Amino acid sequence: MMEKILLKTEAADIEAYIKAGGYQALRKALAMKSEDVTAEVKKSNLRGRGGAGFPTGLKWSFIPKANTKPRYLVCNADESEPGTFKDRELILKNPHLLIEGLAIASYAIGAKQCYIYIRGEFAKETGLLSDCVNEASKRGYLGNNILSSGFDLNIAVHRGAGAYICGEETALLESIEGKRGLPRLKPPFPAVVGLFGCPTVINNVETLASVPAIIEKGGDWYSKLGAGKSAGTKLFSVSGPVKKPGVYEIELGMPFKKFLEDYAGGMLEGSKLKAVIPGGSSVPVLTAAEALKMNLDYESVQQAGSMLGSGGIIILDDKACMVETLLVLAKFYHHESCGQCTPCREGGGWIEKLLRKLEAGKGKEGDIALIYSIAENMLARTLCPLGDALAMPVMSFITKFRPEFEAHAAGNGCGKREAGSGKSTQ
Amino acid sequence: MPKITIDGKTIDLPAGATILQAAQALGIYIPRYCYHPALSVSGTCRMCAVEVDKAPKLQIACATEIADGMIARTDTAAVKKARKDVLEFLLANHPVDCPICDQAGECSLQDYYMDYGLHKSRVAPEDKIQRSKHRAAGRYLVLDNERCILCTRCVRFCDEVTKTNELTVSGRSDASFIDIREGKSLDNDYSLNIAELCPVGAFTSRDFRFKQRVWFLKRIKSVCTGCAAGCNIEVHYNENTVYRLMPSPNPETNTWLCDRGRMTYKALQAGDRLRKAFVKKGSMEIEPAIRHAAHLLDEAARKTGPESVVVLGSPYLSIEDNLALAELAATSLKTSNLCLDFPREQGVKDGILINKDDAPDANGLKLLKARYAGLDQGALIELINSGRIKLIVAEARALSSLKEKLRELSNIETVILAVTKSDLDFESACVLPYAANFETEGHFVNYKGLLQKTTPSVAAPDGVKPLWTVLSKLSSCTGAPIRLEDAAELRERISEFIK
Ligand SMILES: Cc1cc2nc3c(=O)[nH]c(=O)nc-3n(C[C@H](O)[C@H](O)[C@H](O)COP(=O)(O)O)c2cc1C
Ligand code: SF4
Ligand code: SF4
Ligand code: FES
Repeated sequence: MMEKILLKTEAADIEAYIKAGGYQALRKALAMKSEDVTAEVKKSNLRGRGGAGFPTGLKWSFIPKANTKPRYLVCNADESEPGTFKDRELILKNPHLLIEGLAIASYAIGAKQCYIYIRGEFAKETGLLSDCVNEASKRGYLGNNILSSGFDLNIAVHRGAGAYICGEETALLESIEGKRGLPRLKPPFPAVVGLFGCPTVINNVETLASVPAIIEKGGDWYSKLGAGKSAGTKLFSVSGPVKKPGVYEIELGMPFKKFLEDYAGGMLEGSKLKAVIPGGSSVPVLTAAEALKMNLDYESVQQAGSMLGSGGIIILDDKACMVETLLVLAKFYHHESCGQCTPCREGGGWIEKLLRKLEAGKGKEGDIALIYSIAENMLARTLCPLGDALAMPVMSFITKFRPEFEAHAAGNGCGKREAGSGKSTQ
Repeated sequence: MPKITIDGKTIDLPAGATILQAAQALGIYIPRYCYHPALSVSGTCRMCAVEVDKAPKLQIACATEIADGMIARTDTAAVKKARKDVLEFLLANHPVDCPICDQAGECSLQDYYMDYGLHKSRVAPEDKIQRSKHRAAGRYLVLDNERCILCTRCVRFCDEVTKTNELTVSGRSDASFIDIREGKSLDNDYSLNIAELCPVGAFTSRDFRFKQRVWFLKRIKSVCTGCAAGCNIEVHYNENTVYRLMPSPNPETNTWLCDRGRMTYKALQAGDRLRKAFVKKGSMEIEPAIRHAAHLLDEAARKTGPESVVVLGSPYLSIEDNLALAELAATSLKTSNLCLDFPREQGVKDGILINKDDAPDANGLKLLKARYAGLDQGALIELINSGRIKLIVAEARALSSLKEKLRELSNIETVILAVTKSDLDFESACVLPYAANFETEGHFVNYKGLLQKTTPSVAAPDGVKPLWTVLSKLSSCTGAPIRLEDAAELRERISEFIK
């Protein structure tokens, strides 16, 4: 039996949520010592679901005990990565689970103010979350002296203005502070110098929504779900030519093949699996063969040569032109670079221009090697991971699908599209 | 203190020091664009990357703090490649218009390209982004966005030093560009520092633009006499022309230089520079004019006695020149009406450099006052207003500074010493020009009491001599010479004041 935590109940309505046992974990947490709440989360082996997979309990424990400044919890709901659309689903279906998670996490780290930084385009979700925060406050789950525990918490829903880079945690902090969303240099890390210069924990929506179950049933219980070091359940958003694209919650460790067949419904009729981008658009692409051997957990995906990332699975079939697909990604990362640091600012546009020519059949001999080399020169050299988020796809696309790139360079296109027209020939 | 080893050399420095600072202390140069010792660290250009033991990727030296036992390397293949790659990125959209760029010769893009880059361009010319080439940026600057490498030094300077926030980065990604904020103009009192801070030819000085290739410039250290701050400067000159002034950073005085200070050299070249003397009838050669002045002095002393003549010192003049004035009064004219009392309000005016006192040497003047005493200013004014005075010998700005307090000067003759016509405020019986500060050596004491010396870089116009020489000649004509004809005499005589 697959355990479901995040999408178990689907109750945007607080009554229904409470009836299904909602806000009991908060009650339980408030009766515990805050250190014990963090200890429980450590025990659960929950890892961040925003992309980097950093152990959540450990992150919370980095808040310096002696620091007397206010502390903040920030929920990262900026979800803007191509291929990733799980947090939105979670917010729409189970907003109170998130709010309960926020309250527990705030209590654990000693924050009295929490911010939900939500993607600007999520207008409906913003409204819903604001309403839910109000309802929860009315019932005493937020606000002053929560459930007579003496703990106070205020949650502000802060809507972003449409920049992907504001999902990067420190750019996000700058944005809340009312500044341009530019990633900060680290160290200092946000746990020490975060929002308004105060100790801050930033977690993804899904990470925080996983917390109530951990408190309710115990870290040990949670840690046994999933596979080895990849504990618990995770949402995967699958898109592309599959029969049932959408968001699914599974225990980590499920074979990708099974997920594709049983959840995503298999490939569309007439489509053959060619490649998989398993963790949102920023991670290396895998060939069908590589993907079909892996399981959906952090370690196995890494072994296959990519990263689990946010769990945004992009499926590509035999009709997809890899040059065109990479061009789409390059356009995105070029456009979304904040422009602060040299390699990302200059590399993205350069790669896009070369890919555009290649795709239009106007590439020159040596362009493929040049594109690869530009990406290589960006990799691991930038201030924030956005540079890598372009470099890794570029390098993996070229390495794994070189013949397609070469056919374009020779002016033969791929037969899949009219070169440069943006229109498919099929 | 943490101990760090860089390229095999070890040093310990206080915690908080960065690898870049440690390298500097070890004499190892790490190339940089965004880093500037006087600004916050931005860590964005990525030029300063170095290898650090156990770190999985290169670390930026400007932002990485040293830790005990840290081992870093700046000379590995990976570091060299990283520098070369950053340069390639920076040049990807750069116009490479060095032949018409003023920065050529002192451009870190050029220099580092020669040191670390030397790559063949891999960018198709049609792929380069074109941007605005000459945007006026305030009184003194021009901005070429195409040459900008977005190090943001200029932005941080306006945010952190002048706190006037005129600049920002607009756009993002490779459409980012340095912009002047809406409603602002880049007119702070220190704007020319930006031309200098800018590592490339993006911000250039309108004053210096297209005047001189920097490799022709000779450089000499001196002191700015624009106010009591006493900022240390480097005078850049060639073939008897000063082209620009730059700060010569000194922890006791200055890191930067204000715009007014930078422009002080313009007086040398100004159209109203006095190259000849003036008497009531019009212009006159300097030597005869000195004799004419001596005649005026003699006549006044003869007719109404030496006490009808007043000599003023000046907070605008060097110790040398004030000594000559004091000696003129005491030795030649034998008048006790010498005034060396010019109390000035001093102190940093704007929290940066500019002093409330626009005169460079009020404190040097005090040293002379201690020796020669003389009238205090109140007594002087009373004396002049009493109508008993027939002739005043004074430097133009010193006399002007008393203008408000003096009644009716029209029946008093004056012998005025000046560099430019614009310093003149009064009808005068005789105006004698003298060499400006860039043309002669002089000692000045700044508001903190620091004794410093200007160094000549260019020659004065034909026949124009240092003031102490002019006054010496004048004294000789009166028959009681003060004997400050040559530099050796002068040096000996001022030695008691510049210990
Ligand atoms: C360019 C960029 C965009 C990101 N966007 C998001 C995002 O939309 N949502 C998110 O949760 N994390 C995003 N992240 C990751 C965050 O920086 C951060 O690691 C995460 O929010 C931490 O939460 P977690 O530990 O719960 O995963 C992004 C990172 C980068 C570099
Ligand atoms: S890697 Fe890109 S997005 Fe990140 S700081 Fe540098 S320029 Fe900005
Ligand atoms: S104008 Fe000069 S100082 Fe300013 S960001 Fe550009 S290169 Fe740097
Ligand atoms: S000098 Fe270190 S990143 Fe620019």
